[in-house]
Amino acid sequence: MSDVMVQSINLAKSFGSNEVLRNINMEVHRGEVTCLIGPSGSGKSTFLRCINHLEKYDRGELLVDGVRVGFDLRNGKLYERTTSEIAKDRSDIGMVFQRFNLFPHLTALANVTIGPIKVRGMSPSDAKQRARDLLERVGLGAKADAYPSQLSGGQQQRVAIARALAMDPKLMLFDEPTSALDPELVGEVLDVMKDLARSGMTMIVVTHEMGFAREVATSAYFMDQGIIYESGDPKEILVRPQSERLQSFLSKVL
Amino acid sequence: MSALDEHAESLEVVPVRHPGRIAAGVAMLVLVVMFLHTLISRIPDPQTGQPIWRFRWNIIGQYLFSPIILRALLLTIELTVVAMVIGIILGVVIAVMRISHSRLLSMPAAAYTWFFRGTPVYVQILFWFAAGTLYPTLTFGVPFLHITFFTFHVNHLTAIEAGIVALSLNEGAYMAEIARAGLISVDEGQMEAALSVGMTRVQTLRHIVLPQAMRVIIPPTGNEAISMLKTTSLLSTIGVYELAGTAANISAQNFENVALLETISIWYLVVTTVMSIGQFYVERRFARGSSRATPETPWQRLRSDIRGVRARWKLIPQGLTR
Ligand SMILES: Nc1ncnc2c1ncn2[C@@H]1O[C@H](COP(=O)(O)OP(=O)(O)OP(=O)(O)O)[C@@H](O)[C@H]1O
Ligand SMILES: [Mg+2]
Repeated sequence: MSDVMVQSINLAKSFGSNEVLRNINMEVHRGEVTCLIGPSGSGKSTFLRCINHLEKYDRGELLVDGVRVGFDLRNGKLYERTTSEIAKDRSDIGMVFQRFNLFPHLTALANVTIGPIKVRGMSPSDAKQRARDLLERVGLGAKADAYPSQLSGGQQQRVAIARALAMDPKLMLFDEPTSALDPELVGEVLDVMKDLARSGMTMIVVTHEMGFAREVATSAYFMDQGIIYESGDPKEILVRPQSERLQSFLSKVL
Repeated sequence: MSALDEHAESLEVVPVRHPGRIAAGVAMLVLVVMFLHTLISRIPDPQTGQPIWRFRWNIIGQYLFSPIILRALLLTIELTVVAMVIGIILGVVIAVMRISHSRLLSMPAAAYTWFFRGTPVYVQILFWFAAGTLYPTLTFGVPFLHITFFTFHVNHLTAIEAGIVALSLNEGAYMAEIARAGLISVDEGQMEAALSVGMTRVQTLRHIVLPQAMRVIIPPTGNEAISMLKTTSLLSTIGVYELAGTAANISAQNFENVALLETISIWYLVVTTVMSIGQFYVERRFARGSSRATPETPWQRLRSDIRGVRARWKLIPQGLTR
């Protein structure tokens, strides 16, 4: 088993004539926390969505745990896999969204159990047991029967994290998980993510929380207009940025 | 302590009076009483001059529970249920085709809706009744290979079958639009979240998107069903003896047109009322998890109304009202 969890080589993607990603190279090792930062519209979400094939890239290579998610390579061409094969690839990659996207017609518990039951074929009683443990872990053991509309933003996002963890993912993708939260609720979500990082989960986090990046991340990538301008140890590049773009970006967000 | 503070606890709120509203209410009451009086008044019989019920209550009483009308009522309900069930299934399928990325699916779905919404349902009923001349038989099999699974004799369609075909195909077009509105009302993030946990598109549609779309789909579907109940009366024109056809048939013999129209109207009202109550409870069920409070059932509302009135009239001690 290789040590590399995510490998992106010269990844490129356009929407029509809009080149959103240009030659993105990234390597994420098992157990690492990688932060992706950059201004709005720079392509961070698009890159994250390419990793679990919610978006199709046009050129390049993208391997997750050695598997080319969503595509088969045959005769030098990438053939898109069938929807059920793609679904299977995705089930090992958890994703947490900026706007939570909890299922509003299901209770917190049912939000967490539906994946294991429908995708993995787990028995409802086993799935519930596991879901209760996971809700306990994100500090919401008492909210199992609440509907999303009855939860605060921070609580909803923690349920969303539990929902992703229920699939036992080998990789977690976070797309600005705290950007939609009131300032006083950001901490509780970041705490859950720190805890997850300490437990050895491989994570890619798009975030504007520079404190989190410096404290928790093992590496950071700065993206602008679809290009990685700088990458390295966050304690290094976020404190002493080399490129002018990162300097001006940091002066705006800090 | 000021005088204001001393009285603060016992101050009573007096709502503003509306004299105009009271006058209009009284006038309305008078009109209602006058109308109710016509319901129980008698007029001279045009032939004999004897006083008879203006509303022919005696004839209605004679027919309301007669086996022939009850059988017709049953047929009306059956036609409504069958046409709605087929219409809903058809509608959901067409709506899913309509939002598909494949033009080969979305274009025919759009054409279907265009055609069946663009022609009167009355014309469609007459058309299907006569369609045997156009397609005498429909054969299901493999084209060009002379393999046949089964054959459908359109020219042998009974009036009831032709009517069901016409009503359900027409309903499918309306239900498709309702279902489509429901499907696109669900946030795209829901689809992405479901896909990201590894659900297939079909699972996502079934477990995530459709249940949420239901909240938008159910109220107009209830209206459609209630409307369908009454549209079945058009089948009387092709000789189906549902309520309207039966009423026409009986009044052709006893010339009591008005009394029979009243009889079947009573039944239409009864069934519509039952359907509305059913719709209310179904809506409540699918409103689970919505941020707006679920509406009270009539019983709950009655109970809280009574509680309110009793509190107003201070029939129960103040401490118990809250
Ligand atoms: N589905 C789409 N169709 C067309 N253009 C798109 C689509 N999704 C994103 N884009 C464009 O791609 C560019 C990058 O978008 P992306 O969402 O990846 O940026 P981002 O870095 O995540 O920004 P933000 O910080 O605002 O979330 C933007 O110019 C956006 O308009
Ligand atoms: Mg984004």
